[in-house]
Amino acid sequence: MSNIVYEAVNWNKSTSELAQVFWDQQWKQIWLPEEIAVSKDIKQWRNFEHQDTYKKVLAGLTLLDTVQTNIGMNRVVAFTPDLQEKAVLTVFDAFEAIHAKSYSYIFTTLCTNEEIDELFEWVKKNEFLQYKANKIADVYNSIEEDDPESLWKAMYASVMLESFLFYSGFFYPLYLGGQGFLRNSAEIISLILRDESIHGVAVGFFGQNLFKKFPLEKQEELKLWGYELLLDLYQNEMNYTDDVYAETGLSPEVKAYVRYNANKALMNIGFDPMFPEEEVNPIVMNGIRNEGSTYDFFSQKGATYAKAKVAPITDDTFNFNR
Amino acid sequence: MKTYLKLNNDVLNRYSTTGQLELEKDQEATRRYFLEYVNVRLRYFIDLEEKISYLVDEGYYEKEFIDMYEMEFIKHLYKKAYDYNFRFPSFMSASKFYDSYAMKSRDGEEILEKYEDRIVIIALYLAQGNKDLAERSVEAIMEAYQPATPTALNSGKKARGELVSCFKLSMDDSMNSISENIGYCLELSRLGGGVGVNLTDLRPLGDPIKEILNRASGVMPVAKLLENSFSYSNQLGQRNGSGVVYLNIFHADIENFISSKKPNADDKIRLATLSTGIIIPSIFFNLMKRDKDIVLFSPYDIFKEYGKRMSEVSISEMYYELLDNPKIRKIKRLNARKLYTEVKKAQFESGYPFEIFDDNVNDVHPLKNIGRVKMSNLCTEILQVQQTSLITDQDEPNEYGLDVSCNLGSIDIHAATKVNDFGALVDTAMHLLTNVSQMTNIKNVPSVVKANKLMHSVGLGCMNLHGHLVTEEIMYGSKDSVDFMDHFMEAMNYYSLQSSMEIAKANGETFYRFEDSDYATGIYFDQYVNEVEKELSPVVLKALGNIPVITPKMWETLKQDVMQYGLFHSYRLAIAPTGSISYIRSCTASIAPSTERVEVRDYADSRTIYPMPHLTNDNSHLYVEAYDVNPYDLIDLYAASQKHVDQGISMTLYVTDNWTTEQLAKVYIYAWMKGIKSVYYVRQRLQSLEECVACQI
Repeated sequence: MSNIVYEAVNWNKSTSELAQVFWDQQWKQIWLPEEIAVSKDIKQWRNFEHQDTYKKVLAGLTLLDTVQTNIGMNRVVAFTPDLQEKAVLTVFDAFEAIHAKSYSYIFTTLCTNEEIDELFEWVKKNEFLQYKANKIADVYNSIEEDDPESLWKAMYASVMLESFLFYSGFFYPLYLGGQGFLRNSAEIISLILRDESIHGVAVGFFGQNLFKKFPLEKQEELKLWGYELLLDLYQNEMNYTDDVYAETGLSPEVKAYVRYNANKALMNIGFDPMFPEEEVNPIVMNGIRNEGSTYDFFSQKGATYAKAKVAPITDDTFNFNR
Repeated sequence: MKTYLKLNNDVLNRYSTTGQLELEKDQEATRRYFLEYVNVRLRYFIDLEEKISYLVDEGYYEKEFIDMYEMEFIKHLYKKAYDYNFRFPSFMSASKFYDSYAMKSRDGEEILEKYEDRIVIIALYLAQGNKDLAERSVEAIMEAYQPATPTALNSGKKARGELVSCFKLSMDDSMNSISENIGYCLELSRLGGGVGVNLTDLRPLGDPIKEILNRASGVMPVAKLLENSFSYSNQLGQRNGSGVVYLNIFHADIENFISSKKPNADDKIRLATLSTGIIIPSIFFNLMKRDKDIVLFSPYDIFKEYGKRMSEVSISEMYYELLDNPKIRKIKRLNARKLYTEVKKAQFESGYPFEIFDDNVNDVHPLKNIGRVKMSNLCTEILQVQQTSLITDQDEPNEYGLDVSCNLGSIDIHAATKVNDFGALVDTAMHLLTNVSQMTNIKNVPSVVKANKLMHSVGLGCMNLHGHLVTEEIMYGSKDSVDFMDHFMEAMNYYSLQSSMEIAKANGETFYRFEDSDYATGIYFDQYVNEVEKELSPVVLKALGNIPVITPKMWETLKQDVMQYGLFHSYRLAIAPTGSISYIRSCTASIAPSTERVEVRDYADSRTIYPMPHLTNDNSHLYVEAYDVNPYDLIDLYAASQKHVDQGISMTLYVTDNWTTEQLAKVYIYAWMKGIKSVYYVRQRLQSLEECVACQI
């Protein structure tokens, strides 16, 4: 039997600057795919010209979320020293699993079993998709005990995945949803996106704290490594976009969106953006702002209700200074 | 890619990145929308005669009402409408009209009506051959009056839905009544209606059936049946039927009822699409204030013991009697504060339940001698007396009571301050609503037919308050805004009473049991004739524009007239939440604050960006957003309006997620203290992560 002294997580004493904030925010926005009536999209789906692109986009996202659930968050959790941050990342991991499952929920609603099987075969065969999965997973798998450098690299990879690589896929449902097409599937995507943006900010923030502790020389070296990885992934992303979006004519717009998000990913990890600012399709941009949009009560489930903060009613509740 | 959608989206995109509003983009979007979408689909007609005869011959318009007028007169009305040179002020208004309201060919390809055409048809149809009314209606609708969606949408069309779309039903504690009412719900839902059903009178879970205890299943399974009925019957899939169920907070099933809307509720009780509302008597608040427990009752016991349904008694008056009576079971004791905290939790997590403050409604109910108001409708603004039908076995005739169909219209406040004769505007609106009520025949729901014939109830409301306040540089929620609404609604009340009296006088007919109402005794008018005239600030006077300030003397005269001639309508005013119709007219919704300066509106089928009416780069500070309005100021404004409204006002509360349940409870308690009758949704804005992190670091 080993003789390690195990420590219990003590939430009464803050050990991480923002762990509590990230924890609260993630739980506040809890959701499950079954709450959204994707079946309402079936009518439009039947006559949809670019079914193939749409399916592949979602299948690609499924793979990324699977990698993130099974390897990414898992590995980062295992090696993150702070117990509160560990807890937050474990919660994130659970949400990644919900995300991966929710694409299947869309597939089950819209596609036949045969189509679905073909799609998962396609995932295994698509070289660009496999390339990015491998590239990211390799970084995750290289984390070593008591090696903050390898841990930071994994956090960097995680931010790249969540704030950058997902967006070539997110583009399409947002683009269509903003035009009133497959709105319910788009709503699922916008809920996923809402989670991913916390994950990107949080892991980026934890990463930045780690980064600060490295000597300057090391920082420079890691920066270089980071930009190189990003460029490598970016090249692959361009090819992936051409491959998947070829028949829609949307490639240039998707690429602009990918660059926009690459910049955001860099900012999350505390680096300067590298692509010049350019215009992104406003419909897709507005697709992200799902908070506070106004729903009428014949529409789908709004994304705006959250967990309550409970406080007891007291005598003072009945006093008004008016 | 539709360029107009891109342009329209650009408005928000620029606004949220730079804070600058580029209204030209929205106008350009509207222009492109006409070029790319509307004009290419608009069917061309040589002249008006050809147009009308085509639409009649092809079975798009009903023939009967067109035949009531000469062609010359119809031409005259069209010219009158077109002479207003109407232009859609926003992409939202244009797209909403052409997407949802304009008559289209059966295959949906051709557009057959423009905005002015629709309005003339509404006027001709509702005026039923009365040329004077038709002419006044075109003026009123072009200028400041908007009939509710079902009326605006369906008037004059041959294949059409009903002119009204909102109903209230009372369910009795018997299987006959349950199944009869589910049948009604299916029928009304088929017509596209929203239906409110009162479940307060049903015996709770575990109550006896035929004297054997633990047999009844309670209200939740009935609610589930209703939910399924509404989703089954959905106007050819165009829109899902919708409904709300109400329950008294002293009903033994209340705990399950409150939890039923939570996303994590047990599947057996979870209501996914059905709305819920609770009826709260004042005694509940009084017990809560003293930190007491409340006792839950069974309507079964109350009926057995007193021969009255639970909804027919005032729980506030009866509470201690019920406690003391050994034959009334005390089914459960709950701490009032804890229970109300559960209500607040549910509201944070789902927006539901709505709340109706029972005694605030019934204490000032002008028809209190005729009966109690037991519930509300889907938007919590309709508050009318009902009488439960006795549904018997199939071999005996039913004894029908009174249920409600609501027939609504709204006045654009901003436009109304500019019309020459506000009294005439209200009068025209009242006539149009009256005709809708007389043309409505919901034949499959006899209790609604009966009430419609006897009660002639209508619901005139208003919208565009926030838009108007912005043009007058008045802050929403300020004292000036409260004073403005106080006077505006007093004038609406006065002229609607005047109009109803004139109609009663002309028809020689009043609503059923007028003589038992507070109008007949004159009691209703006490609040006005004894009122001390108040000094109004110049800002408020200017904002009122052409709307007269009503004096106690004018009220005295009206009081005498009403007591002599009676009133035609049992109910006149109700302020609805106004969704689509305010978009078409580029108005802000109801008397509510706007939720965003540039709104993102998601309907089931599209996302549209809508800069608020009258918003410019210079006045955006006046458009304080609903979540930033002090909720107590908002309640003061609604309370000032509510004094003059015989029914209710649909009031939404706006909170952010850093509120606690206690803060929310406090706001509701304040609303109850101020005499508010009902609270509709609680809307919540989730703070974004940026905001959360920003206030932490």
